[in-house]
Amino acid sequence: MQERRSKFKSLHDAVAAISDGAKVAVGGSLIRKCPMALVREIVRQRKRDLTLYAWSAGMDFDMLIGAGCVREAWSSYVGLFTAGMAKNFRRAVERKKIRFVDLSETCAMDKFRAGTFGLPYAISRVPLHSGILKNPEFKEVTCPFTGEKLVAMEAFAPDVSIIHAHRADTYGNVQFDAIRMMDNESDIFIARCGSHTIVSVEEIVPEEEIIRTPTQTMLPKVYVDSVCHVFHGAHPNSCDTRYDFDLAHAEYYQECASTEEGFARYLDEFVYGTKDEEEYIAKLGGQAEISRRLDHPRRKTA
Amino acid sequence: MKTYTLEELLSVEVSRRVVDDEMNFTGIGTGGKAYIRACGIPLVGVRLAQTKHAPNALCMMGPVLDPVLDHETIPDSNWEYDLIHWPCRSQIPLEDCLGLFRLGLVGMAFASAAQVDKYGNLNITCIGEYENPKVRLPGVLAQTDLAALAKRVCIIVNHDKRILVERCDFVSGASGHEDRSGLPGGGAAYVMTNLCIMDFNPETKMMRVHSIHPGVTPEHIRQNTGFDLEIPPNVPFTPVPSDEDLRLIREEIDPKRNFLNAGITQDRATLED
Repeated sequence: MQERRSKFKSLHDAVAAISDGAKVAVGGSLIRKCPMALVREIVRQRKRDLTLYAWSAGMDFDMLIGAGCVREAWSSYVGLFTAGMAKNFRRAVERKKIRFVDLSETCAMDKFRAGTFGLPYAISRVPLHSGILKNPEFKEVTCPFTGEKLVAMEAFAPDVSIIHAHRADTYGNVQFDAIRMMDNESDIFIARCGSHTIVSVEEIVPEEEIIRTPTQTMLPKVYVDSVCHVFHGAHPNSCDTRYDFDLAHAEYYQECASTEEGFARYLDEFVYGTKDEEEYIAKLGGQAEISRRLDHPRRKTA
Repeated sequence: MKTYTLEELLSVEVSRRVVDDEMNFTGIGTGGKAYIRACGIPLVGVRLAQTKHAPNALCMMGPVLDPVLDHETIPDSNWEYDLIHWPCRSQIPLEDCLGLFRLGLVGMAFASAAQVDKYGNLNITCIGEYENPKVRLPGVLAQTDLAALAKRVCIIVNHDKRILVERCDFVSGASGHEDRSGLPGGGAAYVMTNLCIMDFNPETKMMRVHSIHPGVTPEHIRQNTGFDLEIPPNVPFTPVPSDEDLRLIREEIDPKRNFLNAGITQDRATLED
């Protein structure tokens, strides 16, 4: 019998599959559970002309835009929530360095879902009379049943989807903690609609553990192409009940991002200046120090 | 001497407009004054209504559905860990939360904005032209959704010429009344500020003053509004909160001022400075 295929890859090798000009869908929401280790690796590999899709984006988009990786981006939000505005994003849109397409939370979800259902477009009333219609991709159509005016929105069809999750086996069976922020449900749609899907996880577990808890496998291996093991892989984002948002680091990030030069220095220090995530974590004082500062002592595991 | 705060006055005004059995929507909120307007006042208003005329009204705060709003259970922070563990009756998937909007199951939705125009449209996206913005703001979030689909939108903003404008630079939420064809929701119903409570004139489709807060003059309201606002003659004062309402808010609902002064966000604030 042949060996079964392992989908376990280094971050470097997984991200190498993303080409310049690719359409990349990014999981997480606001400052929660964005796949930041994968994002940093995209910056290290200096990918260019990407189009980004998210349900609700944060530091992930801001960093990729600030690093010059992005040509166009779509989301219902780009901001750092309690840590303030996304300064690189704001600067890039105001200086017309990127094109940004606004779409509401239901519209973003509808477009990801249409992609996972294999449909060409989603249909909605929501954008009617709103500024979203300034974007030519939103097209008014007439309902063939009722004659009412509706808006057709092309399905998201990302070349690559990247998300961060809690645990997986090396075959690509990905699990989410049962106690989690429900915003994570959008990650499952985002992962499923990608032609190629890369998932970073907090833990790799043996297949027996997956078999013991199959109802937590919200993303079975048929949807997944690469699994990377990155403990604290969402940092500085939070990761549900596992660890908190790193506000102190985010405040430093924001201070740097106030100018283009300042942000270039941040990237030199934390991204280009670290050859991989091990060096990034070491720069922050090591895994134990991050755990001491951000992990929840009261955490209940799934 | 004023015996109540602006936050308390507005919470009571919100509570009177909560309808029994309906679901009310707030976001999760960021910090400081923005939290007080978007979440603090709405949550206290809904809780007050629950204790009085609307025992079956409920709240959706993002993915946290029907949270327990007793002061013992309200967490000290709105960080992710505490939000996840906030006692509530349901945490349905995000997809289903948004689905509740699509099905028309959201009654009153709360919103704040950088601009609100005379018809009741909302803007949180950009100042200046969309293609050439002077200031780019974070996006549209769920504002387009609630403007299109909620039965009523309650807008809470600071009363300022730059906020209450003739026309929004960009319509993030089409809650305005000039043309609602094709939109199932009812649009903007109330606009509450530090100076007055406003509603919409069904004839003109435009904002008008419903009541003026005690101590405020019509002239002061006009000076701080960016369009020609209808102030009907003999418009009443906004009623002062009753002693019983103040007792409920201060002793039963929000004794730590986690909601009304954003204590939950570690960026305590007041709308009155």
